[in-house]
Amino acid sequence: MNHDPFAWGRPSDETYGQYNQAIANASNFPKMNTQQPIVTGTSVISIKYNNGTIIAADRLGAYGSLLRFTDVDRLFPVGNNTVVGISGDISDMQHIEKLLEDLETENNYDNSYADDEESLKPSYVFEYLAAVMYQRRSKMNPLWNAIVVAGVENGEPFLRYVNLLGVTYSSPTLATGFGAHMANPLLRRIVDRDSDVEKTDLQTAKNAILECMKVLYYRDARSSRKFSLAIIDKDQGLTLEKDLQVENMTWDFAKDIKGYGTQKV
Amino acid sequence: MFRNNYDGDTVTFSPTGRLFQVEYALEAIKQGSVTVGLRSKNYAVITALKRNADELSSYQKKIIRCDEHLGLSLAGLAPDARVLSNYLRQQCNYSQLVFNRKLSVEKAGHLLSDKAQQNTQSYGGRPYGVGLLIIGYDNSGAHLLEFQPSGNTLEVYGSAIGARSQGAKTYLERVMDKYIEIEDPEELIKTCVEALRQSLKDETLTTDNLSIAIVGKDIPFTQYDNEKVTPYL
Amino acid sequence: MTSIGTGYDLSNSVFSPDGRIFQVEYANKAVENGATSIGIKCTDGVVFAVEKIISSKLLVPKKNVKIQVIDRHIGCVYSGLIPDGRHLVNRGREESANFKKVYGQPIGIPAFADRIGQYIQAYTLYNSVRPFGVSAIFGGIDSEGPHLYMVEPNGAFWGYKGAATGKGRQSAKAELEKLFNEHPEGLTTRQALKEAARIIYVAHEDNKEKGFELELSWCSETETNSLHKFVTGDLLEEANEHAKREMNEGDDSDDEDVSSDEDNNAEQDRDGDIQLE
Repeated sequence: MNHDPFAWGRPSDETYGQYNQAIANASNFPKMNTQQPIVTGTSVISIKYNNGTIIAADRLGAYGSLLRFTDVDRLFPVGNNTVVGISGDISDMQHIEKLLEDLETENNYDNSYADDEESLKPSYVFEYLAAVMYQRRSKMNPLWNAIVVAGVENGEPFLRYVNLLGVTYSSPTLATGFGAHMANPLLRRIVDRDSDVEKTDLQTAKNAILECMKVLYYRDARSSRKFSLAIIDKDQGLTLEKDLQVENMTWDFAKDIKGYGTQKV
Repeated sequence: MFRNNYDGDTVTFSPTGRLFQVEYALEAIKQGSVTVGLRSKNYAVITALKRNADELSSYQKKIIRCDEHLGLSLAGLAPDARVLSNYLRQQCNYSQLVFNRKLSVEKAGHLLSDKAQQNTQSYGGRPYGVGLLIIGYDNSGAHLLEFQPSGNTLEVYGSAIGARSQGAKTYLERVMDKYIEIEDPEELIKTCVEALRQSLKDETLTTDNLSIAIVGKDIPFTQYDNEKVTPYL
Repeated sequence: MTSIGTGYDLSNSVFSPDGRIFQVEYANKAVENGATSIGIKCTDGVVFAVEKIISSKLLVPKKNVKIQVIDRHIGCVYSGLIPDGRHLVNRGREESANFKKVYGQPIGIPAFADRIGQYIQAYTLYNSVRPFGVSAIFGGIDSEGPHLYMVEPNGAFWGYKGAATGKGRQSAKAELEKLFNEHPEGLTTRQALKEAARIIYVAHEDNKEKGFELELSWCSETETNSLHKFVTGDLLEEANEHAKREMNEGDDSDDEDVSSDEDNNAEQDRDGDIQLE
């Protein structure tokens, strides 16, 4: 008789071989991966116009409802004609930022055409990110983000979306998160279908984006006034402005909203 | 009798800093039948002379396609070339799958170099016994590379490897200035076949023993064999 | 070479009775037959230059690039067995990328030199591998400023103001010494580009029957944002022109022949050399 209480009621080693202790010591839960984002960035919005693409995102990193970090870059230039905009979990975003840096470094290895013919194109960057996002979701360990890749490729505007599920799609206007509900309808007033891109100039498109950033700041409680905006133009190349803020607001309506500020019933 | 003690493996340098095993591997290329390659700005062509073991056997394949835009011809140990071309096929697929990008010819060359180098610095293996001419058309245009088992891969305007390849090489050097300007792919193929002829001895080119491949602007990697080579004979 | 035939020179990781490791010495021979490479440390960065022997008319000019990027801020050039150099650079890239992953900043160049030295040394320890047939000159700019190192097949590395290796190293070294005597306060990278070009031309003198192409690269705090960049276009043209002009003028002046203690085994190496370079 084995007097070790641990052995009682277990299959005997003589019959079934060495007992796998890992079974008894197993956790009460299955392995758990990220199931919600922690610090988050809100919408990324973007639009095509006749000579390129515009993409914008605010600079807030929210910790739940706390506006915790107010100066976060969420637009990342990759090479000379691509910008990646990322919303969702900020730590996952920072991981993706590293992946993009490595991608760029490796493209410069032994590449005598790295500055032109064999530079990184938006579609290469996108395809890579989509592969990463899909692989991570298939491991049940997603990167909790929605990503927009904007740029110019072969003289044409490029815009495509991928998210934590590995879903991808493209459209002449793209927005993530809250912006998908609030900005997209507004942007589609300017560019509703592919044929509208040709008719839209930079200024019109930029104004639409600025207007959307304002609406989002009005209505999205996890947004900030400060935002970044990048333009990737066929002729002008890539410009990234990091110190913009929403202008020309009127908050007169605020006093009428119940629960906002001081209120006399 | 003189015996060379320094040629038994790939991990022994000779007193003059040579690697005899690697040099012997380069000799294996010369045992193979000849293959010639050349390129202009927009097109690259390879031609090769196929051999058969005996009258009743088929001819050994000399040209292998790796991707839409990339392929190669070989001289030396054909099975070794299959290992290397399978590797290139994998890398082409990977590049297409992960980056939606054609593997650049330059990168293909570097990948082969690095793979071959491993076989020259550790014990227990041998260097690859095959030379390759790699042609491809990518974002930066048409390219031709010459790969050697030592791990050297060079970008060239023209090259010939295999038995009696010197004849073709000399011819290519002589007419280089002309063919690098050729715009018509058909003309380029003709030049390449002519170069191959310079390396023939007893053989004559027939529909059975001539292989041709071309790649370039608006032409995916295409191989011509058997009756398809008739126009170029 | 009295050692030949004694059997102590056939395997790596074996000492001879007088304490030498012949296989490593033989690896040095592979380096000494390779095309000349040099590096110059300047006040604001580093400059690399290499002689690219044109072994055939069929080679495409300006291609078959020899200088390599290790990380954005580190460049590398080497003499000897080129495929071995590529192996080394691949390892260097792994080290550099790994450092960045762990510490979140670019690797310091002295720390990098240390890792590369260790790796090369490991290839002298075991009979299952052979030593690297290259001497590599590498460097760049980190948070401490410019650095230049050269590592040898035995794994030893030193920091240099001016480093040279390969066939023409003797005359290149003499020129580098002269250069630093003339400029005790150091040179700028812009000056050094021209001098590096000239030194490669001088080093090529002993090997005149073969044509060559010059390859140049640099890291500069002011000119390249501390990143490693190739020198192309007008700048490269200028350096080439300068070197040619100096060569024509210098014909009568200094003719101290320095290539004395070089073993002249050109005869023996003729076929192997071209193939492996």
